[in-house]
Amino acid sequence: MIATLLAQVSSTFEPPTLDFHALAPEITFAACVALLYLVDMIKLEDGRRLMPGLSGLALLAPLIPIMTLALDGADRTLFGGAFVVDNVALLLKAMFFLSGYVVVLLSTNHLAEGDFWESEYYLMLTSSLLGMVVMSSARDLVTIFVALELLSIPAYLMATWEKRSLRSNEAGLKYYLMGVFASALMLYGMSLLFGISGSTLLTDIGARIAEGNSSTPIVSLAIVLVIVGFAFKVSAVPFHSWAPDTYEGAPTPVTAFLAVASKAAGFVALLQLAFVGFAGRTDVVEPLMWVLAAASMTVGNLIALRQTNIVRMLAYSGIAQAGFILAPFAVMSDSATESLTAVVTYLVIYAAMNLGAFVIVIAVARKTQSGEISSFGGLFGYAPGLTVAMTVFLASLAGIPPLGGWFAKFVVFKALATAGTPWGYSLAVVMAVNSVVAFYYYALVLKAMWFDEAPYGDTSPVRVPVSLISATGLTAGATILFGVFPGLLGHFTGSLEGIIAVLPGG
Amino acid sequence: MWLNQFLILGALLFCIGVYGVLARRNGVMVLMSIELILNSVNINLVAFGAFNGTPVGQVFALFVIAVAAAEVGVGLAIVLLIYRNRTSIDLDAADLLKG
Amino acid sequence: MVAQNIFFGIIAFVMVVAALRVVTTKNIVHAALYLVIVLAGVAAQFILTGAEFVGVTQILVYIGAVVVLFLFGIMLTRARIGREVEVDNEKRWLAGLVALVLFAVMSFALVDAFEDSRIESVSGGTPQLTSEVSDAIFKDYLIPFEAASFLLLAALIGAIVVARRE
Repeated sequence: MIATLLAQVSSTFEPPTLDFHALAPEITFAACVALLYLVDMIKLEDGRRLMPGLSGLALLAPLIPIMTLALDGADRTLFGGAFVVDNVALLLKAMFFLSGYVVVLLSTNHLAEGDFWESEYYLMLTSSLLGMVVMSSARDLVTIFVALELLSIPAYLMATWEKRSLRSNEAGLKYYLMGVFASALMLYGMSLLFGISGSTLLTDIGARIAEGNSSTPIVSLAIVLVIVGFAFKVSAVPFHSWAPDTYEGAPTPVTAFLAVASKAAGFVALLQLAFVGFAGRTDVVEPLMWVLAAASMTVGNLIALRQTNIVRMLAYSGIAQAGFILAPFAVMSDSATESLTAVVTYLVIYAAMNLGAFVIVIAVARKTQSGEISSFGGLFGYAPGLTVAMTVFLASLAGIPPLGGWFAKFVVFKALATAGTPWGYSLAVVMAVNSVVAFYYYALVLKAMWFDEAPYGDTSPVRVPVSLISATGLTAGATILFGVFPGLLGHFTGSLEGIIAVLPGG
Repeated sequence: MWLNQFLILGALLFCIGVYGVLARRNGVMVLMSIELILNSVNINLVAFGAFNGTPVGQVFALFVIAVAAAEVGVGLAIVLLIYRNRTSIDLDAADLLKG
Repeated sequence: MVAQNIFFGIIAFVMVVAALRVVTTKNIVHAALYLVIVLAGVAAQFILTGAEFVGVTQILVYIGAVVVLFLFGIMLTRARIGREVEVDNEKRWLAGLVALVLFAVMSFALVDAFEDSRIESVSGGTPQLTSEVSDAIFKDYLIPFEAASFLLLAALIGAIVVARRE
């Protein structure tokens, strides 16, 4: 009886045809993560020493299938369009793996010397990165939702990882409640999008809401709720209140991870939703993005001016940078290719320079045990290498040529100017003013490092472990390289027609 | 049955949940309000699935249920940790970090 | 059809009243128990729309697991079982206003978009079979399914690490 029933059911089920090459980065990484879980389970305490090395390898191994896919060059579409592997997706995946690798380098000594659960930390980190990698290819509401939760839930836990510190506990609770509330709002918007189009594929939703008769309040409501949900994730003003508290309270390597990888993943999802799903309704998306971008830049910068703690300063400067990344969204209908290029370029360069700044903060805090900007006083006198590296990162964040940050700002300006609309020009002006304001607080740190006296006259050298030196080298190399040879990213972003082609109007 | 009777019920639950999130100061009670919002989403999804004649609505709702269960587990773990360290889960008392 | 609508009305009324009590009661254990009523009502609505598998999952996961977790959380944090004085913050009136405005906007948008469309009209009154749901999960939604398995594993291990006594 059961056997015949099973036979009936199984005869109607056709297994999906999978392109295993397209899925190879995810499969490789998922297998490595599963292996990490096994090592933790079998070796218990002995596994602690192995975990950083193994998770580093797990993060580098998937770069091989990413290479072969990039060399192959063809865009691959799976599950009827729910999962797309194109050049942009590959670039973003490589960025996530490499940032994850730098975060592992950052964490090793910090964790080993503190009171932490070490092995499980790497399990959380790699699981979260798996969600980000899936997000890079997701073009479907369900996939985006599950990827978002897979990357967020381990991140909430990582923020509380310093279990005995009340500040870390509080950081985690705030991040958790905000994140869960935001994803609930986003889900309600997604349920409306599904209801309007009867499909969860972004291409179907895009086609449905671009139709003439869809100028209804319901579409606007759905789009606003989804964008607000992600605005929390990328800490755009006025949904930013959790970010500085969480960044300050969480263990610093986790802060670096949240400020770079987690934020980038939010932007990746916004990118796909806006350019594929909502391209037909730019009349709703653009004004919303304009306000979010202008508010984030201005408020982020103005509050950053008043900070005395470097991590909080970086948190608010990150909010301002989020405004710069949101700016191209505000002109997406008039300069689609330029906007998309600008967002992707900015994300990659931002990851390199901001991670770099956090590396130096962690390295200096090893000696000073402080997060105050004044603790950087006289750094040049006893740690010239760190000072030069920090100067590179801060100058890049401020947008000084020929560093990466300059090129990132340049492409955003280009996108705003190409649009040729009053909206684009006005946002470009807001951005120019804010770049100047931002220069001031970055310069304050530079002044402390180069010209001030060391606090208490303590000029004993900083002992920097090898892992932090390599992290500095990687991020500084990338920051300088992208600035001097901007064409490097062009190989990927130049072939963005693939994603543009699916736009209903483009 | 009209589609809108389910959607309006969902909207009501959603707004009650939003009220709870904004008005409560006990961490566990905020979490309960968020569960109300997630349930309103599920009502929407299942009703839209029946309306559009596709099983996708139910699939989406199942994913939401699975993820929500994980979220609550994680949330209560964090609440428990905070309680151990300070014997209170009042959100207004969580003020070591001020922006 | 009339019987279904009557059942819908009764269940919906009970759900809304219970939901209001969840967010207004001063007793945290009562809030959890009112939540059970809302969750059971949601399960009943699922069954009314013909989504019996989701309805059963709702009862198993939400009432069976999530509410029990809530009760354990309340017990382990030794929250007072009786009334607590300060469970709401001062911004309660503002929150109520936000919720009311939001409801007005949402119901306007929903009525404007779906007017009097009936659930039966498109699908012809045939509910979606559970086998179709499972086929869809293992065909089109394979990647989210696998991702969800990693999510549950990570949440399990992380929650144990965070919650366990040192």
